[in-house]
Amino acid sequence: MRPSRRLFLSSLAALAVARPSWADAGSPAWLAAAKEGEDYRLHGLSETGESLFALPLPARGHAAAAHPTRPLAVAFARRPGTYALVIDCVTGAQTHRLTPPPGRQFNGHGAFASDGRVLYTSEVVAEGSEGRIGIWETEGFTRMGEWISGGIGPHDIKLTKAGLIVANGGIQTDPGDRTKLNIDTMAPNLTLLSKGGSILDQVSLPDLPQASIRHLVLTETGVAFAMQWEGDPAEVVPLLGHWVPGSAPVLFAAPEGEAHRMQGYAGSIARARDGRLAISSPKGGAVQVFAPDGTFLATHARADVCGLSALGAGFVTSDGNGGICALDQQVTPLAHHEAAWDNHMVALIL
Amino acid sequence: MRAILFCLLASPALADIPEAVQDHILPGYAAFARASDSLAAVGKTCDVRALQADFHLTYDAWMAVQHLHLGPGEDAGRALSVLYWPDPKGMGAKAQKALLAGDPAKLAPEAFAQQSVAARGLLALERLIWPADTLPADPCPLIAATTADLARVAHEIDTGWQDYARLLTTAAEPGNTAFLTRAEARQALFTQLATGLESLSDQRIGRPLGSFDAPHPDRAEARASGRSARNILLALQALRAFTATLTPDAPLTLAAFDKAIGQAQALADSDPVLDGIATPGGRLKLEILGQTVTAIRDLVLAEVAPEMDVGIGFNSADGD
Repeated sequence: MRPSRRLFLSSLAALAVARPSWADAGSPAWLAAAKEGEDYRLHGLSETGESLFALPLPARGHAAAAHPTRPLAVAFARRPGTYALVIDCVTGAQTHRLTPPPGRQFNGHGAFASDGRVLYTSEVVAEGSEGRIGIWETEGFTRMGEWISGGIGPHDIKLTKAGLIVANGGIQTDPGDRTKLNIDTMAPNLTLLSKGGSILDQVSLPDLPQASIRHLVLTETGVAFAMQWEGDPAEVVPLLGHWVPGSAPVLFAAPEGEAHRMQGYAGSIARARDGRLAISSPKGGAVQVFAPDGTFLATHARADVCGLSALGAGFVTSDGNGGICALDQQVTPLAHHEAAWDNHMVALIL
Repeated sequence: MRAILFCLLASPALADIPEAVQDHILPGYAAFARASDSLAAVGKTCDVRALQADFHLTYDAWMAVQHLHLGPGEDAGRALSVLYWPDPKGMGAKAQKALLAGDPAKLAPEAFAQQSVAARGLLALERLIWPADTLPADPCPLIAATTADLARVAHEIDTGWQDYARLLTTAAEPGNTAFLTRAEARQALFTQLATGLESLSDQRIGRPLGSFDAPHPDRAEARASGRSARNILLALQALRAFTATLTPDAPLTLAAFDKAIGQAQALADSDPVLDGIATPGGRLKLEILGQTVTAIRDLVLAEVAPEMDVGIGFNSADGD
């Protein structure tokens, strides 16, 4: 019997079902890790801050990377990370477990290529913290190779059309824990790697060698970066900057009376639709917002705030007290969970 | 407002927030504002001896609340403009030199309020009434401007706290977007205690202590007015009083505070500006005090935190 047109169509539908999308996971707006009691989970959050799913993690997470089309999340362990888990956000099943090569550690962040076929992971050589970028294919999540990151202690990485931008935080840590070993000699940088892994451009902040460049958000022309000050806490330094590869980085400073509220620490960075930039400080319980040209706009208070992303015309925050808040001209609570939200909110819809 | 507070006070489990606010924070800021008024009045006369006396009273009053880094004191750099320390690059002295020799229009209240926080407040005044060198110009106009500005800021904080106190005491109530739960408000207060102890240990004790090979008595706070050790003592007394309002049941913590206060008192009597830490024996005294403060912080986490059902902030405690 010849297959009927109807059977043919239903087979097509079945094929489509076999390749689920983020809609099958409830179309979360963000992924965010949390501590709940003694348990750690990865949540998919809606734009109103509701949890759409919560999947168990074996230990405290840091950031996640979301596949651009398939409902797959890669959850990275905190530094020094010995694993990253690929989680099917529809079924909740762990589909793969990524282990760095011997003597390597994941460093908390990763990024998918825009077509989703390659995953890049930020890594260090455990001994000495020299940076590597791990390269993985995403069907079976096997390792295809690695590049040097261009510095010590890479943290966040972001893919652009020009290549991969790496925040080499500059901090050498003890292979067994998080003890910082080179604060007096640290030399962070921003590096642009080509699609073949060679260094296309690299800049540092010669006047602020103890400002660890750690988190990134893409802008229309380059990348904005957030820093953590490792120098004398009595010195108040800029924590935000913008880099257009090919030119020198530009620092955005808050005015004197406001700058200290961040306590020398920016934990996350986000960019709003209109180009405004926000950085969060759990240590200072504050979020600061800057205009696209770097003009300081405002400080908003929210205790233990760290997770930050874009929402509507403004921003969204998550904090260790369980709050998810919209942030624009002011802070507006959206939802409250019995959970301590961990460092980052990872946006799924760009 | 009073009725609400009374209801809350009736329930012992909820006593922490209103007690801390009513018995510690609000009276502390009110006393500071009163002291700063008196200082500003003397500032107009430029009577140095009277200024020095009122400087001490105002500094004492600030020490009773300086550990509070939330609310109106954090806005517009107010707390920093009251006390800018440490200032390792001497920015305050530089900015003041420019003000002394510069355009008198900059000393008008609105203009002066826009000057660097490093050039304002208690330590700016200290440099004018206990000058290290001969001042390049008559300091009286700058003294008047500095004391008037300090009083303005003190009243802004005091007034601002009337509203902010309501946010703390009405946590979790509809419309309160600052504190979504009562636990958040308790957490905010507890954080002040924990970070107050940390900053005492890292800054007021840690900066002059330096390392064994390189002690730095010159880095101690308020040396010119002879208050370095006294400020350590007052910080401890303020944190003890704050703790007592946060929980009625922290005997080990309060006992450790008492021990530290005894050590700090002895230090204030024997080595007021910490010059002695350049000698091994003198250094040992400050080191021991530092260890006692560290022990208090551990006790606060072990004893006060569970009493208040809070902990150290999840993200702030251990960043990345």
